[in-house]
Amino acid sequence: MAHNLHEFLLRLKALFLKRRLDRDMADELAIHQAMLQDRLKRQGVSQAEAVTQARRAFGNPSRWHERLRELWQFRTLHNLGRDVSFSVRVLRKSPGFTFIALLTLALGVGANTTVFSMINGLLLRPLPVPESDRLAVLGIDEGSPRRNYSFSEPLFRGLEKRHETFSQVFAFSNHDFQVRATSGTESVHGQLVSGDFFNALETPPLLGRTLVLIDDQKGGNPSGFGVVISESFWQRWFNRAPNVVGQKLQIDNTAFTVVGVMPKRFIGADPLSRPDLFVPLALEPVIDGAHNITAAGLHAWWLDVLGRMQPGVTLKQADAQVAASTGAVTHALATNAEDLKQIEKHHIKFAAEQGSAGFTYVRMFFSKPLTAVFAMCGGILLLACMNLASLLMARGAARQPELATRLALGATRRRLVQQLLVESLLIALMGTVAGLAIAPGVSKSLSIMLLSGEGDIHVDTSLDIRVFAFAALASVVAALLVGLVPALQATSKSLNEQIKSGQHTTQAQERRRILPKIMMAGEVALALMLVVGAGLLASSLVRLYLSGAGFDIRGLENISISLDKQPLAGDALFRFYRQVEDGLRRQPGVTGVSFARMVPFTHRTWDEDLSGESDKTKDVFHNRVAPDYFRAMRIPIFAGRDFTWNDSPASGLKIIINQAAAKALFPDRDPLGQIITKKDDKTTTQYEIVGVVGDAKYEDLRSPAPPTAYLPMTQDDGGMGPSYNAVVRASGAPGPLADAARSLIQGMAPTVPAPVLTPMSLTVDESLSAERTMSLLAVFFAACALIVTAVGLYGTLAYSTARRTNEIGIRMALGARRTQVVTMVFLENAGVALVGTTLGLIAALLASRLLASFLYGTSARDPWVFAGSILALALIASAASLLPALRSARINPMVAIRCE
Amino acid sequence: MGQTTDTGELIQGTLEMLILKALLRGPLHGYSVAEWIQQTSQQMLRVEEGALYPALHRMELRGLLKSKWGTSDNNRRAKFYELTAEGHKKLDVEAQRWARLSSAVAFVMQAS
Repeated sequence: MAHNLHEFLLRLKALFLKRRLDRDMADELAIHQAMLQDRLKRQGVSQAEAVTQARRAFGNPSRWHERLRELWQFRTLHNLGRDVSFSVRVLRKSPGFTFIALLTLALGVGANTTVFSMINGLLLRPLPVPESDRLAVLGIDEGSPRRNYSFSEPLFRGLEKRHETFSQVFAFSNHDFQVRATSGTESVHGQLVSGDFFNALETPPLLGRTLVLIDDQKGGNPSGFGVVISESFWQRWFNRAPNVVGQKLQIDNTAFTVVGVMPKRFIGADPLSRPDLFVPLALEPVIDGAHNITAAGLHAWWLDVLGRMQPGVTLKQADAQVAASTGAVTHALATNAEDLKQIEKHHIKFAAEQGSAGFTYVRMFFSKPLTAVFAMCGGILLLACMNLASLLMARGAARQPELATRLALGATRRRLVQQLLVESLLIALMGTVAGLAIAPGVSKSLSIMLLSGEGDIHVDTSLDIRVFAFAALASVVAALLVGLVPALQATSKSLNEQIKSGQHTTQAQERRRILPKIMMAGEVALALMLVVGAGLLASSLVRLYLSGAGFDIRGLENISISLDKQPLAGDALFRFYRQVEDGLRRQPGVTGVSFARMVPFTHRTWDEDLSGESDKTKDVFHNRVAPDYFRAMRIPIFAGRDFTWNDSPASGLKIIINQAAAKALFPDRDPLGQIITKKDDKTTTQYEIVGVVGDAKYEDLRSPAPPTAYLPMTQDDGGMGPSYNAVVRASGAPGPLADAARSLIQGMAPTVPAPVLTPMSLTVDESLSAERTMSLLAVFFAACALIVTAVGLYGTLAYSTARRTNEIGIRMALGARRTQVVTMVFLENAGVALVGTTLGLIAALLASRLLASFLYGTSARDPWVFAGSILALALIASAASLLPALRSARINPMVAIRCE
Repeated sequence: MGQTTDTGELIQGTLEMLILKALLRGPLHGYSVAEWIQQTSQQMLRVEEGALYPALHRMELRGLLKSKWGTSDNNRRAKFYELTAEGHKKLDVEAQRWARLSSAVAFVMQAS
């Protein structure tokens, strides 16, 4: 063992000191020669004769060097080096093939790595905190299929106190804060966090301290409100001033003191969020003022809750323990019998699950689409590998004479297979590197596309160990898949047959031609599946867009006006809005202006239980709107009237409902003039129906329009704050309108943050971003699949035709016409395409069921999509086969028979 | 270079044993080793250069010899080989084996 190491070290030394080794060897041999010459001279031989004799005794000096050098090399390394340089030469000689091979692999590996890094960033990557696997996400099971992850504040506080299962339980909520700057207020993204947030995440601050339990109590820390800032906020706002701890910040009109700065790598417990401010949870009522969420108690579900498990507790135990404690926690909250009844009604049960990757609600929407896309990527990689393999096999067949000669000259089969494998590994390596190079950039832009509607989202798609390992695995598997079979095949025949070129098609040779054909058929099948998938998703998307929203989307702009910090109320508020309305109406191109509390398709909902004819309540979605809303939205009014500015609270509460609500609440009579009742814990409210309008979609384009009730802005009791969205019907560019709105509103109230204008069409697009991206990707992959398959069909046919040149020449010499030859060649691929299409059709019919949950208004067996896909594939296959077929027709029979 | 028997009469293993013996007296360079073997064997064993140097280098790699550059008698730069502890041990082992082999062969040849 010791001398093996010694040998290894000496060889290693020789590797690095190659020149010195060469010089030493030359010197050693030179002196031997010199001593030989001396001896000959002493024996009486002349100088010249001695030199010649000595040289003759030694023989060829370079052969010496080679022999000795060989002893000192790492044989495998040396062979590998030779194989690599040989492979490079071979690949350089056929640039077309090399380029296509690289491209197919780069595409396959790149696409997979791209999507995998998105999946990693969104679903898998653990939080950058110590022992992240000890974190658990808490949820609530209410008997519905989807677990609820939003807690109300009292429930969380109840859990926070218990420490048997978790050493810390903490909650957070994303929040945008209005921070006073030198020039107006700036909206800064941050989080409300509970007292144990920083303790659980175990990350020391860069400066100062973190928030602790004293900060998170009602009334705040007695020594002043503390806020922790992020490193990037410290840079941006304070220019990295070293004395930042102790500085004051005006947040939402409240004085805060900076108590600490967190390092850049700390991102909290939401992997998609980059909060700049961390404010104690208990101060939410101070921040949000009169309409704070905490005051809503058990009725508001807004906190994400996680816990760090006690040492020794497993996740399963934590889940069981927390479920068992549900009763105790909930009962402790009931302050009266009414609350208790509420709690019992819902049959909730706590649950704990894996939390090493933190929590973000976005995951719930995107894990399924991402997984589907990943499956498609896998298909593309497989396709690329199969393509490459069949191309290599076809090429291997063409290289037979070369390989046979090398075998005859003494190469072992092992060495030949090794060299061929090195060739395909080289292609795999280069393809992977190319794919890896583009992956981060592409995943970044892809995640921006996919998640554009979700607000300020940061998906970390940088390469980490997982992604790298995945890419390496993919490429090695690809290389082996691609290289091994052709290599083994190409070197498997007996010498005799190989040296003879392809004039005689023996049985064995025929058999060997079948394997690439089977591969191509598989490729065609796979391509068909991808095309069908793309077709289904694309037509589903088109149907979604065409399904209509119940109102006119084009030309509609929403302007969000945030008056939360303004003291306006009652009549003063309405005058403000009427002034805004007048100002906007005067803008060029504006044909309708109104206001609304809720904007469709923005994930925000407001629903209440209402009852109509009978006492049974129905869940009805709500909106509060100004007069002229329905005209601006182009929602038809079917009965009754719209609201007017005269509908004051004194004249009795009015309501307008849509047709779905009318059907639900008044199935047997005309709703106009009827009374709708809303009963909650303390009060009963009654509304008179003054109008019935058309159905409009609310949450998203997929769900049908729900029963909706509209309340007049003029009867707003202020319970939800003074902020509304202006709804503007305008023609022309939105830019000037946005500027006009901003100068108008800030002219009237300078401390209001700038209003944001969003075209409705953009809101709709963003709400469909998952579907859009999936369709885009599917279409992209299908196009790639078609191209790759076409190239494969072309390539294999071209190689096979080249080999059959001789045979074709004979046929033509024996009287076959050119058209017959063309047809023969063309049909060679037809069989492959036919088999492949049939296989693909069956597979697609079975697999498309998996897509069914993504489709809207499209059956998973849509005949048009299937027919179109088959047609597309047939066209591609024909086009690819046409070129070699036509080329075969131009073969000169005399030349062909003569050539080998 | 392989395990093939070299041109000439000496099998690789035996040549190595002779080289080890040659270096027992002290460091020598390659030419001197060949010369010593030739002279000591009464000109009956001639070591071909084609066998000598590969053997020397092989033995150096295996740790039986170590090399040092020095000056030869006629002031030329030469590579001197000398035995390592391993080499000494190997010489003893090979010498014993050779003795056993040759007496075994002698027994066979002496039988009538």
